[in-house]
Formats: sequence, C-alpha cells, structure tokens
Amino acid sequence: MALCMNRLNEERKQWRRDHPFGFYAKPQRNAQGVLDLKTWECGIPGKEKTLWEGGLFKLSVIFPDEYPTKPPKCKFVPPLFHPNVYPSGTVCLSILNEEEGWKPAITIKQILLGVQDLLDDPNPDSPAQADAYNLYRKDRAAYESKIKRIVRDNPAP
Amino acid sequence: MLRDRFNQQSLGVPLNTMVKEARILMVGAGGIGCELLKNLVLTGFGEIHIVDLDTIDLSNLNRQFLFRQEHIKKSKALVAKDAAHKFNPRLKLEAHHANIKDPQFNVNWFRGFTMVFNALDNLDARRHVNKMCLAADVPLIESGTTGFNGQVQVIKKGQTACYDCTAKETPKSFPVCTIRSTPSQPIHCIVWAKSYLLSEIFGTSEDESPELDHSEDSENAQEIEKLRQEAQALKLIREAMGTESFPQLLFDKVFKDDVERLKSMQEMWKTRKPPRPIDYSSTVQEVADAETRKSEILRDDQRVWNLHENIVVFRDSLKRLSRRLQSMKSTSDLDAAEPIITFDKDDEDTLDFVAASANLRSIIFGIETKSRFDIKQMAGNIIPAIATTNAIVAGLCVLQSFKVLRGDFSSTKEVFLSPFAPERLLSSDRYREPNPDCPACSVAQTRVLVDMSRATLNDLVEDFLRLELGYGDEFVVNTETGPIYDVEETENLSKKLKDLGIKGDSFLTIIDDDDENPRVNLILNVQEATTDLEDRPIKGLDISGSPSADGDRPASPIPRKRKSAVESNGQGVTGIEEVHPMANGIVGIKRTAEEALGHESGEAKRPKTTVNGANSANGTSVNGEHGSALIIDDSTDGAIVIDDD
Repeated sequence: MALCMNRLNEERKQWRRDHPFGFYAKPQRNAQGVLDLKTWECGIPGKEKTLWEGGLFKLSVIFPDEYPTKPPKCKFVPPLFHPNVYPSGTVCLSILNEEEGWKPAITIKQILLGVQDLLDDPNPDSPAQADAYNLYRKDRAAYESKIKRIVRDNPAP
Repeated sequence: MLRDRFNQQSLGVPLNTMVKEARILMVGAGGIGCELLKNLVLTGFGEIHIVDLDTIDLSNLNRQFLFRQEHIKKSKALVAKDAAHKFNPRLKLEAHHANIKDPQFNVNWFRGFTMVFNALDNLDARRHVNKMCLAADVPLIESGTTGFNGQVQVIKKGQTACYDCTAKETPKSFPVCTIRSTPSQPIHCIVWAKSYLLSEIFGTSEDESPELDHSEDSENAQEIEKLRQEAQALKLIREAMGTESFPQLLFDKVFKDDVERLKSMQEMWKTRKPPRPIDYSSTVQEVADAETRKSEILRDDQRVWNLHENIVVFRDSLKRLSRRLQSMKSTSDLDAAEPIITFDKDDEDTLDFVAASANLRSIIFGIETKSRFDIKQMAGNIIPAIATTNAIVAGLCVLQSFKVLRGDFSSTKEVFLSPFAPERLLSSDRYREPNPDCPACSVAQTRVLVDMSRATLNDLVEDFLRLELGYGDEFVVNTETGPIYDVEETENLSKKLKDLGIKGDSFLTIIDDDDENPRVNLILNVQEATTDLEDRPIKGLDISGSPSADGDRPASPIPRKRKSAVESNGQGVTGIEEVHPMANGIVGIKRTAEEALGHESGEAKRPKTTVNGANSANGTSVNGEHGSALIIDDSTDGAIVIDDD
C-alpha cells in the first residue's frame, strides 16, 4: 500500500513534468477535495495519419493496492467500439496483463501510448467484443467508416 | 512460587525479572496465537494484552487448543485469555475483542508495550501492526506459517529489516480474457463460476454499475444500444428467477449461446481446441437416471461427477439458491440494499452451484473436471494448517523475545522452518539490515500536535513544513487516501485540516520532490491538541527546526535520501525508469532492474543487448509483438494463498 502510493506520487510528478502532446492524465478528486491516486481520468488522442486522428477518448485507469506488482485496469468510458475492448470498456492489451507483458517498471505514459497504438493496430488474435471484431474481419470498409464516425463524435478539443 | 523458581533457574535472575516486568501485546489468537499465549503465560510475562476480532469456529478446534466445542461462536481473544489465565493466575491478562485497526489502538497505545507479537493471518493487518510499531518505536516479533513452513522475524526500527523491507508475494489473479473467453485449466472455470456467474446471478452485476451509464446523444447510439443489450441479457434472465423456465434460460445463455458466440471468433481457436456448446433441452432428457440418484450424488463429493450428474447438481443448487434469494427479498426492507448471495466454501448451496457450473464449463472447453471436494479447496483457497508447525513457530517467537528484552538486537535471528528443504529442518539467518528504499521504515517519523478547531492546510504547509522544517517549493502532502497538496494542487490550502478528513491519529506522508537532494519521506502522526496551543495551531512533538549556522533558513531536521541507494539500483526508490519514446512510436524502457543487476528473469530470455537495443526485444512494445493481448481482472477473482490464523 505504501509502495503503491509512493509510486503513484512519483508517476504524478513525472507526468506533471513531461507528458506526450494531446494526452491528459489526472487523479480523480473526491468530495472533500482529496485526490484519489488510485483512479485516474485520462484522455488518449487518436494518432496522426491514422483513422483515429482528431479523436480524443476518455480512459479510466484504476490501480490495485498491489500496484506496481500488478498492472492497473484500463477502461474506456463510455466503452469504445474496438476489437480489443470488452463490452464493459476494459482494454485487452499484453502490457496490462500480469502474466504477460506487465512489468512494474512500465509507467503511465507508456501505458497510455500503448493504448494509443492499439487503437489503429488491433490485435486479431485476442478479440474482446464480437461486433467490432467481426466487422473488422469481414467488412473492413464498414469498420473504417464506423471508426470515422466515432472519431467525429469524440473530437479532440 | 515454585514455577517462578524454575523460570529463574532457566532464564537467570536478570532476564526473569525483565520477563516479569514486561508488558506484551499479542495480535491474533488463532493457530499461532493459542500456542504463543500458552508459552508467554508459562514463561511468566507480567502483563499480556490479546487482540482478535474473530470468533471461534468448529474448524479451529483441531489445532487451537485453548478452545473447546462449547466455545464455538465466542470471542477468540476472551476465551483464549480465560483458558490461558488458569495456567498462571498471577499474571495480568487483558482481552480485546476488536480489530487491531480500530482507532482506539493508536500510536500512543502501542507505545505502552515492551514488545508486540504478531500472530496474524493476513497481509493487511501485518502491515498495519508493522507500521504502528515503527511509528511507536516498539519492537515487533513477526511470525507466520503455511502448511509445514514457518518463519519468525524480529523487527526493530532502524536496526533490523521491517515487514515491508522486502516485497511480498501478491495473491494470484487471472487475466479476464482467460476467465471469460479462453480457459485452459480447472481453476479458470472455477474462478469463472465463483466470481463471474454466481455474482452475476445472485450478487451485484458489474454491468449494472452506474459508471456504465452510456451517453447516447450521438450517432453511436445504435452501437451503444447493442452493447447495452448484451449486458442486459443476463439481467433479463435474472428477472426470470423462480419461474419454470429459469434454469433453461440461464443454462442456454451461459453454456450454449455465449459459447457459440465465442466459437464464432475463429481466430481465437486456431491454436486452441474450440469449445463445444451444450444444449439444454436435448441433454436434459438424458439426465432422468441421474436425477433419481440426486441425493446420493450430492453426498458423493470425492468422486468426479459426469456431465449428467453435473447438470442435476446445477439445476438443484440453482433451485435452492433462487428460493433462498427470493425469501431474502420478501423479508428485506424496501429501503435496504438489495439482498445478495456471495460465495462461501462452507455454504453447501453456493459450493454445489460453483462446482457444477465450473465442471460444465470445463466439459465445454475440454478441461479436466474436478470433484466437489477438490473444488472446495480451490475455490475456498484452503491451505492446510498444521498444529505442529504453529507450535514450533510459537516457541521460536519466545526464544527471540529474550534477545529483544535484553536489547540485544544484533543477535536476533530470522528463523525458517522448512521440513522439505534438503539441508535442515530449521535454518536461521542473521537479522537483515533495513532496506534503505523501504516504503515503510526508510522514512522519518514524528508526531504533531494539532489544534483541530483552527489548523488549516496552509498552516501545515507554510508554517510547519516550510518555515519550521525547511521544506522547499516542491513537495506533496498525502493523507491515507491521497494527495491534498502539491505545487499544482493548491486549492485546498485555505481549508481546515478536519475538513479534509484529517483527525486525531491520522497519518500524513510528506514526499519531498526536490530534484537536487530530496528528504526521505516524512510521516506525521496527528495528535489532537486538548489544550489551547498558544501561538501556533500546529506543533512538532519529537522534532523541530533549529536555526542553521548561517541563520538564513533553518537546517532541516529531516534526513536526506541516500543518493547511492537511488543510483545503484536501476529502479530507484519507486521503480520508475527513464523512458524514451522511439521514433516510430514504440515505447521502450532503458533497462530493467534485472539487467542492471546482471541477471535475467525467468521467461524474459532476451539477448543481452545495448541499452537501446533492448527496447524492441523486451516485450513492452505494443506495436511490435502482440502475442495475445490480455488484461488482468480484479484481484479478488484470483486464488489467494493465505496462511493460518
């Protein structure tokens, strides 16, 4: 618990000092004005020169008590139409899996950049929602026009 | 008198006197606690306080020898006290049937003890007592057992390693993808049945949580509607509870339709065996024979049930649970929270339901099925507890306590009991040095007296931390929940501390963000002032700033972080490393701790490369190699290894 808090404080400091353009990441504030370091509200912009360019997608990052031994859970709010995003909004990504790519050294910046990469480069071996997956597999044109619409609906400021 | 004479002969007069004068706290009166209390009483420790929040259960009686059949459901602390007091009525024993984390057990209360013994069964309480003993600067003897293995360790602030100096193994959890889509082991199906299915039907559904209230003001409304339908499907079935069609609706949803949908994602089954859905109406005709043997099957919990037997148990337990939930609903208040049923390994109905559902899912995915007896162990995270291990460990605790009484911390030992180790049953190591990067004990600690009626955050930040202790511009003030102040987070400054949730006995952590030469973290233990503090609303009790030689600003009484520790360990204090986004957008990390220390971690058999070359090979790249992208579910879902209480 103490380790988790120390690390999240450090993450916050690092993010404050340097973060990639177009992103935001901040701990939620409770009614008393205390920041909840274990729940962050983040925004991920679509990458330039991809279908997703011009969009900004809201992601909730929830850290467990065992962080950084265990990875945080990332959840698009509202859920995002994407082959590797569960209907609940939870993101399916190897670096967020304790038994796969997760390492305690991975920073919030890396996670958010990783999720940004995933947007335009879905992983067909690991589908998480049937609709987006099937459309992506079977009708790429329809998939792409749908993504364009989603980007229009979630414009970056 | 006689007993004391033998103690005197064994221990010697000086030590025996110290034992008789000692004031001891024992936290936990379970497996180790019962043995330990008996030892402490027979050794003649003058005053012993026992804290335990638990009550006695039938399953405790095989090893917690202070308890008898007639004590079931009574307080462990109180019964243990009464039973042990008879061994030596001259001692002063006091029992607290309470949680050690309760506010009454504050730092000042801990300061009243000569030493503390932990006889606990969970990480959370151990960490708490460790923290309190560090704050109160009272020696702690920490012990634990798991099956045949045991361990004892002496913790003394500044002299030996504390409980948090080494990272603790965290309970195992499973990726949500494995649980929901691609199970490959019996435990995956058991976790699915216990943490997903049971709670979706009889508990609170995740999909009903308010955070999923999708906005639908835009063109994607149609899509969101579809997602919502998917989430609502189970909920609709839930509403059919109690009707004739309920078992079939549920069965076909989870064992047929959901499986069909998974199966339709062909990519997923290229390297795996595809699941085979089970259809209720065509299978249910074949279970008539098994149905007649129902009560026999339910008794037969060490034999692995076949498909038909599992269906019979599934239907029967579903009926029992539905009936129970409905009667709970009919008797509960309208205003009260919706009643729910949660898994309990000793609750036959939930166990039957989880066992049968897990096995049916295993059959679908071609995984080995298990007997209910095995599933009870796996789902209930049962680790055998052994009386002998507890007794040995409790004895070792007392031996270490003699060194603590003499103040001879340099001869304390960390003792391990490991019967299956090749060398010896008991092995002991010299105590370990405190870890300079430990989040719990590498910190400075002090108490502050606070006038709660008027102290503001600004008083703390400006007057106490900056003026009195000499802090610079950049630092963070954390409460136990999170930060309330840092260089950008200034809007709380005018608020009173009590309005930020801070009260007597609260802990605040001050993290110095100074780039050059940061102080170690400072932990403030807030003490509520009972008398009027004349001039300042906040007053340091143990440390205070003293004017420095140049008279310019006060010298800091808080020690600085040891630089070498940060530099030699590639991860620094918090494990954060320098990050370089690569030109192509792939994120890489400079080097991991293993590389820095020169050895490789188990599966990451990556070639030793230059600092930059490691980036593409170390698996953190998202673009490069996808593998199967997975994510972790809530930690509560995993099998948790616990040790004995």
